[in-house]
Amino acid sequence: MTGTSRGPRLLSAIAVAWLAVAALATPAAAHEGEESVPALTQVQVAVAILRTQPEQVDLAADRINDATEAEDKDGVDIDRVEQAKTALEAGDMAKTELLLEQALGACPGQPVTNPAGVRAKLPQTACPAPPAHELALGRVPLHGAAKPTLLAIGAVLTLGGLVLTRRIR
Amino acid sequence: MSDTTVDRPLAEPPPVSRRQRLVDALDERLGLKSLQYPIPAHANTLAYSLGGLSLISFVLMVATGIFLTQYYNPDPAAAHESVRHIITGVTLGGFVRGFHWWGSMAMIVLVGLHLLRVFASASFKRPREGNWVIGVALAALTAGLFFTGSVLKWDQESLEALEHNIEIGKLLGKFGFWFSDTFGGIPLLTRLYVVHIAVLPALFTLAVAVHLLLVKRHGMAPSPFGDRAKDSGPEPTRPFTRHLAELGVLGLVLVGVLTLLAVLLPPVHGPTPIEGIEVTKPPWPLLWVYPVEDWIGVVGILWATLAIFAALLAVPLVDRSPELHPRRRLPVVIGAGVVVALIIGLTIYAAVRPVASHISM
Repeated sequence: MTGTSRGPRLLSAIAVAWLAVAALATPAAAHEGEESVPALTQVQVAVAILRTQPEQVDLAADRINDATEAEDKDGVDIDRVEQAKTALEAGDMAKTELLLEQALGACPGQPVTNPAGVRAKLPQTACPAPPAHELALGRVPLHGAAKPTLLAIGAVLTLGGLVLTRRIR
Repeated sequence: MSDTTVDRPLAEPPPVSRRQRLVDALDERLGLKSLQYPIPAHANTLAYSLGGLSLISFVLMVATGIFLTQYYNPDPAAAHESVRHIITGVTLGGFVRGFHWWGSMAMIVLVGLHLLRVFASASFKRPREGNWVIGVALAALTAGLFFTGSVLKWDQESLEALEHNIEIGKLLGKFGFWFSDTFGGIPLLTRLYVVHIAVLPALFTLAVAVHLLLVKRHGMAPSPFGDRAKDSGPEPTRPFTRHLAELGVLGLVLVGVLTLLAVLLPPVHGPTPIEGIEVTKPPWPLLWVYPVEDWIGVVGILWATLAIFAALLAVPLVDRSPELHPRRRLPVVIGAGVVVALIIGLTIYAAVRPVASHISM
């Protein structure tokens, strides 16, 4: 057997193995017994999903639905959750997030997208500090002279190192 | 004839430069010239410098880590805020944290590539099996350093990682007592901090020392690649100090690249953690176990990790032939290739699939 004929066979075997893996790739039953999860937790999860993974709209919608169907609705304003559901269906993510936060009695979020237009129509919730889950920084760029200085140092070290590597050999 | 020889004036010894005198003085006291022992020429290639670069990245992690420990508070109630303070309130704090974060990624990649190079060139074969085992232990310590470091930033992703850690501790029964959040009356985050800054670096340093001593003891492993492998003549050698110089230069490139990355792409810091929810995925080096957890639960993380390290430890037992070139070790190489492809495939699959809840939900 030559290496040439072994290659396609090997590739086929790997492809078959991957198809088998993909067939098994059904997520575990993450939503079994959702009714037993408190609405408070479901709404927190929905907010966190909208904040950390805004592209996962379906997941957030599932959590909002689960919140409305939860057995334990303590500490949650379900009317606001229903409004959030409607807002999400309308594609208004900022309003959805705000309504969910208000459903938890939290202070409306600071860095929501286009907050002015949304908040004006909703009653504000008195709150001395922003909710803890909002304290995300994202990327914080360097300011002042530090940025060009460090970029220059980095470039000199990289290029100088590469030149020296060639010279040493 | 002998008279003429006696009458010839003695030749003046060549003048010794100040630098040479300094080197000689240091060598007399520190034995520096003993580092000039010959090593094969193939050692002065990038592939054979990956281990040294991994060590350099570890040293960089220690240096930047010492800076970060001056400002980090390992109390769960204050950890998130202290990281925010490092990023926003400490001079160059965000840059040093970014350098530390990118350096950890570099260390993971370099250790992984070094492991693959040693496997591909069969450098683990007799008499180097023991050093392979130490290398696997170093890879495990690197993974431990990465995991504990990812928890210390104490955002949502960190808390979820810690919750998984606690669940795995429960699976270990009596042996998992240390991972209990109540053990010793000290929060697990604080204890993981001690592990991250003291226990694991100390073990890593010890293991590296033994690793290097064994490399010196057995010599640089022969390379099965290139023209030299086909020739019967002896391979040319270079002094080890030349290898150190090249490593130093490559280290400069590493520092430069990490500096650029830390400035241009500083790492994010996620939201303050909320207990009892699961909305994030692990960082990419740990992402491959995420689908496994989907299929068989949290226990999958434990079994998958143990399986990988057991397979790595078994390599010298399975591949015992004297052959070095990968083409002459096809079954083992194909098996390793399938495992690597599986890990890469699982990582990609986990990256594109939605988040799932595995615990407490």
